[in-house]
Amino acid sequence: MFEGLEIFQLARGLARHSASRQAVVAQNIANADTPGYRARDVADFDQTWRNMTAEARMGRAEMPMRVIDAGTPASPNGNSVSLEFEMLRGIEAQRAHSRALRVYGSAMTILRTSIGR
Amino acid sequence: MTDFSNALSVAASGMRAQAQRLTHVSENIANADTPGYHRKITSFEAERGVGATEGAVRTGPVRLDQTALPVIFDPSHPMADDGGSYEGSNVDLVIELADAREAQRSYEANLRIFDQIRQMSTSLNDLLRR
Repeated sequence: MFEGLEIFQLARGLARHSASRQAVVAQNIANADTPGYRARDVADFDQTWRNMTAEARMGRAEMPMRVIDAGTPASPNGNSVSLEFEMLRGIEAQRAHSRALRVYGSAMTILRTSIGR
Repeated sequence: MTDFSNALSVAASGMRAQAQRLTHVSENIANADTPGYHRKITSFEAERGVGATEGAVRTGPVRLDQTALPVIFDPSHPMADDGGSYEGSNVDLVIELADAREAQRSYEANLRIFDQIRQMSTSLNDLLRR
Protein backbone atom coordinates (compact mmCIF):
# COMPACT_ATOMS: atom_id res chain seq x y z
CA MET A 1 0.00 0.00 0.00
CA PHE A 2 2.68 2.48 0.97
CA GLU A 3 4.71 1.57 -2.12
CA GLY A 4 2.28 3.48 -4.27
CA LEU A 5 2.48 6.83 -2.49
CA GLU A 6 3.59 9.26 -5.14
CA ILE A 7 5.71 11.44 -2.88
CA PHE A 8 7.95 8.49 -2.05
CA GLN A 9 8.23 7.53 -5.71
CA LEU A 10 9.09 11.09 -6.62
CA ALA A 11 11.71 11.40 -3.88
CA ARG A 12 13.20 8.05 -4.83
CA GLY A 13 13.27 9.02 -8.51
CA LEU A 14 15.03 12.31 -7.76
CA ALA A 15 17.56 10.59 -5.52
CA ARG A 16 18.34 8.00 -8.22
CA HIS A 17 18.55 10.68 -10.89
CA SER A 18 20.96 12.86 -8.91
CA ALA A 19 23.08 9.85 -7.94
CA SER A 20 23.48 8.89 -11.61
CA ARG A 21 24.23 12.49 -12.44
CA GLN A 22 26.95 12.60 -9.81
CA ALA A 23 28.41 9.38 -11.23
CA VAL A 24 28.57 10.94 -14.70
CA VAL A 25 30.25 14.06 -13.24
CA ALA A 26 32.87 11.81 -11.61
CA GLN A 27 33.55 10.15 -14.98
CA ASN A 28 33.89 13.53 -16.68
CA ILE A 29 36.35 14.83 -14.10
CA ALA A 30 38.40 11.64 -14.10
CA ASN A 31 38.69 11.98 -17.90
CA ALA A 32 39.48 15.70 -17.86
CA ASP A 33 42.80 15.02 -19.63
CA THR A 34 41.86 12.07 -21.85
CA PRO A 35 42.25 13.05 -25.53
CA GLY A 36 39.03 12.90 -27.53
CA TYR A 37 36.75 12.50 -24.49
CA ARG A 38 33.41 14.33 -24.76
CA ALA A 39 31.80 15.61 -21.57
CA ARG A 40 28.46 13.97 -20.85
CA ASP A 41 25.46 14.78 -18.72
CA VAL A 42 22.26 12.99 -17.75
CA ALA A 43 19.02 14.33 -19.24
CA ASP A 44 16.89 16.68 -17.12
CA PHE A 45 14.89 15.22 -14.27
CA ASP A 46 11.46 16.09 -15.73
CA GLN A 47 12.37 14.16 -18.88
CA THR A 48 13.71 11.11 -17.06
CA TRP A 49 10.79 11.25 -14.60
CA ARG A 50 8.29 11.14 -17.45
CA ASN A 51 10.16 8.15 -18.90
CA MET A 52 10.33 6.46 -15.51
CA THR A 53 6.58 6.75 -14.86
CA ALA A 54 5.76 5.56 -18.38
CA GLU A 55 8.06 2.56 -17.96
CA ALA A 56 6.69 1.77 -14.52
CA ARG A 57 3.17 1.65 -15.93
CA MET A 58 4.35 -0.84 -18.52
CA GLY A 59 5.80 -2.97 -15.76
CA ARG A 60 9.47 -2.20 -16.29
CA ALA A 61 11.02 -0.62 -13.23
CA GLU A 62 14.42 0.03 -14.78
CA MET A 63 15.10 3.73 -15.26
CA PRO A 64 16.49 4.69 -18.67
CA MET A 65 19.59 6.80 -18.23
CA ARG A 66 19.95 8.94 -21.26
CA VAL A 67 23.33 10.56 -21.54
CA ILE A 68 23.54 13.72 -23.60
CA ASP A 69 26.56 15.54 -24.91
CA ALA A 70 27.08 18.65 -22.82
CA GLY A 71 27.82 21.23 -25.49
CA THR A 72 30.96 22.84 -24.13
CA PRO A 73 33.69 23.89 -26.58
CA ALA A 74 36.42 21.30 -27.03
CA SER A 75 40.13 21.89 -26.47
CA PRO A 76 42.67 21.11 -29.26
CA ASN A 77 42.96 17.43 -28.23
CA GLY A 78 39.19 16.95 -28.63
CA ASN A 79 38.43 16.94 -24.91
CA SER A 80 35.36 18.97 -23.95
CA VAL A 81 35.48 18.73 -20.13
CA SER A 82 35.45 21.98 -18.19
CA LEU A 83 36.33 21.43 -14.52
CA GLU A 84 34.38 24.52 -13.43
CA PHE A 85 31.16 23.34 -15.07
CA GLU A 86 31.63 19.87 -13.64
CA MET A 87 32.05 21.30 -10.13
CA LEU A 88 28.81 23.21 -10.62
CA ARG A 89 26.99 20.08 -11.81
CA GLY A 90 28.40 18.09 -8.92
CA ILE A 91 27.09 20.63 -6.39
CA GLU A 92 23.71 20.71 -8.16
CA ALA A 93 23.46 16.92 -8.01
CA GLN A 94 24.45 16.88 -4.36
CA ARG A 95 21.81 19.49 -3.46
CA ALA A 96 19.10 17.68 -5.42
CA HIS A 97 20.06 14.45 -3.68
CA SER A 98 19.88 15.91 -0.17
CA ARG A 99 16.59 17.61 -1.06
CA ALA A 100 15.15 14.28 -2.19
CA LEU A 101 16.29 12.55 0.98
CA ARG A 102 14.89 15.36 3.12
CA VAL A 103 11.50 15.11 1.38
CA TYR A 104 11.55 11.32 1.81
CA GLY A 105 12.42 11.66 5.49
CA SER A 106 9.73 14.19 6.33
CA ALA A 107 7.09 12.27 4.38
CA MET A 108 8.09 9.26 6.43
CA THR A 109 7.68 11.31 9.63
CA ILE A 110 4.18 12.38 8.56
CA LEU A 111 3.31 8.77 7.82
CA ARG A 112 4.60 7.66 11.23
CA THR A 113 2.67 10.45 12.98
CA SER A 114 -0.52 9.52 11.15
CA ILE A 115 -0.34 5.94 12.41
CA GLY A 116 0.42 7.22 15.89
CA ARG A 117 4.03 6.16 16.42
CA MET B 1 24.29 2.16 -4.24
CA THR B 2 26.23 0.68 -7.18
CA ASP B 3 26.10 4.12 -8.76
CA PHE B 4 27.96 5.49 -5.76
CA SER B 5 30.55 2.75 -5.47
CA ASN B 6 31.27 2.90 -9.21
CA ALA B 7 31.57 6.68 -9.06
CA LEU B 8 33.93 6.43 -6.09
CA SER B 9 36.24 4.09 -7.96
CA VAL B 10 36.10 6.33 -11.05
CA ALA B 11 37.15 9.34 -8.95
CA ALA B 12 39.89 7.23 -7.36
CA SER B 13 41.15 6.20 -10.81
CA GLY B 14 41.33 9.88 -11.75
CA MET B 15 43.39 10.67 -8.67
CA ARG B 16 45.69 7.72 -9.36
CA ALA B 17 46.26 8.86 -12.96
CA GLN B 18 47.01 12.44 -11.91
CA ALA B 19 49.42 11.23 -9.23
CA GLN B 20 51.21 9.15 -11.88
CA ARG B 21 51.46 12.26 -14.04
CA LEU B 22 52.93 14.19 -11.10
CA THR B 23 55.51 11.41 -10.65
CA HIS B 24 56.63 11.83 -14.26
CA VAL B 25 56.80 15.59 -13.83
CA SER B 26 59.03 15.25 -10.78
CA GLU B 27 61.26 12.78 -12.63
CA ASN B 28 61.58 15.32 -15.43
CA ILE B 29 62.44 18.13 -13.01
CA ALA B 30 64.96 15.96 -11.16
CA ASN B 31 66.67 15.15 -14.47
CA ALA B 32 66.60 18.68 -15.87
CA ASP B 33 70.42 18.74 -15.93
CA THR B 34 71.05 15.13 -16.93
CA PRO B 35 72.85 15.05 -20.30
CA GLY B 36 70.86 13.25 -23.01
CA TYR B 37 67.61 13.05 -21.00
CA HIS B 38 64.33 13.23 -22.96
CA ARG B 39 61.36 14.50 -20.96
CA LYS B 40 58.56 12.00 -20.28
CA ILE B 41 55.04 12.79 -21.48
CA THR B 42 52.04 11.29 -19.66
CA SER B 43 49.04 10.25 -21.74
CA PHE B 44 45.58 9.36 -20.49
CA GLU B 45 43.22 6.76 -21.87
CA ALA B 46 39.96 5.09 -20.87
CA GLU B 47 40.25 1.94 -18.77
CA ARG B 48 39.32 -1.13 -20.81
CA GLY B 49 39.33 -4.86 -20.40
CA VAL B 50 37.76 -7.35 -18.00
CA GLY B 51 36.68 -5.88 -14.67
CA ALA B 52 37.23 -2.28 -15.72
CA THR B 53 34.85 0.29 -14.27
CA GLU B 54 32.91 2.19 -16.92
CA GLY B 55 34.29 5.69 -17.33
CA ALA B 56 37.47 5.09 -15.34
CA VAL B 57 40.75 6.50 -16.58
CA ARG B 58 44.34 5.27 -16.50
CA THR B 59 47.67 6.50 -17.75
CA GLY B 60 48.77 5.17 -21.11
CA PRO B 61 52.31 4.15 -22.10
CA VAL B 62 54.98 6.73 -21.35
CA ARG B 63 56.20 8.61 -24.40
CA LEU B 64 59.46 10.50 -24.65
CA ASP B 65 59.54 14.01 -26.03
CA GLN B 66 61.42 13.75 -29.33
CA THR B 67 62.34 17.43 -29.51
CA ALA B 68 66.01 17.85 -30.44
CA LEU B 69 68.32 18.00 -27.43
CA PRO B 70 70.07 21.35 -27.00
CA VAL B 71 73.78 21.32 -27.67
CA ILE B 72 75.67 23.01 -24.83
CA PHE B 73 79.18 24.29 -25.31
CA ASP B 74 81.32 23.47 -22.27
CA PRO B 75 84.82 22.07 -22.96
CA SER B 76 85.39 21.36 -19.24
CA HIS B 77 82.40 19.00 -19.04
CA PRO B 78 83.42 15.31 -18.71
CA MET B 79 81.01 14.29 -21.50
CA ALA B 80 82.10 16.98 -23.94
CA ASP B 81 83.07 15.71 -27.40
CA ASP B 82 86.02 16.85 -29.52
CA GLY B 83 84.31 20.14 -30.35
CA GLY B 84 83.88 20.90 -26.62
CA SER B 85 80.08 20.56 -26.53
CA TYR B 86 77.59 17.98 -25.20
CA GLU B 87 73.87 17.28 -25.48
CA GLY B 88 71.76 18.51 -22.56
CA SER B 89 68.19 17.51 -21.70
CA ASN B 90 65.07 18.90 -23.38
CA VAL B 91 63.31 19.54 -20.06
CA ASP B 92 61.81 23.03 -19.79
CA LEU B 93 61.21 23.86 -16.13
CA VAL B 94 58.45 26.35 -16.93
CA ILE B 95 56.47 23.70 -18.85
CA GLU B 96 57.01 21.17 -16.06
CA LEU B 97 55.77 23.60 -13.40
CA ALA B 98 52.68 24.42 -15.45
CA ASP B 99 52.05 20.70 -15.94
CA ALA B 100 52.44 20.07 -12.22
CA ARG B 101 49.97 22.83 -11.41
CA GLU B 102 47.46 21.40 -13.90
CA ALA B 103 47.83 17.91 -12.42
CA GLN B 104 47.26 19.34 -8.95
CA ARG B 105 44.13 21.14 -10.10
CA SER B 106 42.69 18.00 -11.69
CA TYR B 107 43.61 15.95 -8.62
CA GLU B 108 41.77 18.39 -6.36
CA ALA B 109 38.69 18.29 -8.60
CA ASN B 110 38.64 14.49 -8.35
CA LEU B 111 39.10 14.69 -4.60
CA ARG B 112 36.24 17.16 -4.25
CA ILE B 113 33.89 14.90 -6.23
CA PHE B 114 35.02 11.90 -4.19
CA ASP B 115 34.09 13.79 -1.03
CA GLN B 116 30.71 14.85 -2.45
CA ILE B 117 29.81 11.28 -3.38
CA ARG B 118 30.85 10.09 0.06
CA GLN B 119 28.64 12.72 1.70
CA MET B 120 25.71 11.73 -0.51
CA SER B 121 26.02 8.06 0.35
CA THR B 122 26.40 8.91 4.05
CA SER B 123 23.17 10.92 4.00
CA LEU B 124 21.49 8.00 2.23
CA ASN B 125 22.65 5.67 4.98
CA ASP B 126 21.40 8.14 7.60
CA LEU B 127 17.84 7.43 6.41
CA LEU B 128 18.19 3.95 7.88
CA ARG B 129 19.20 5.24 11.29
CA ARG B 130 15.80 6.66 12.29
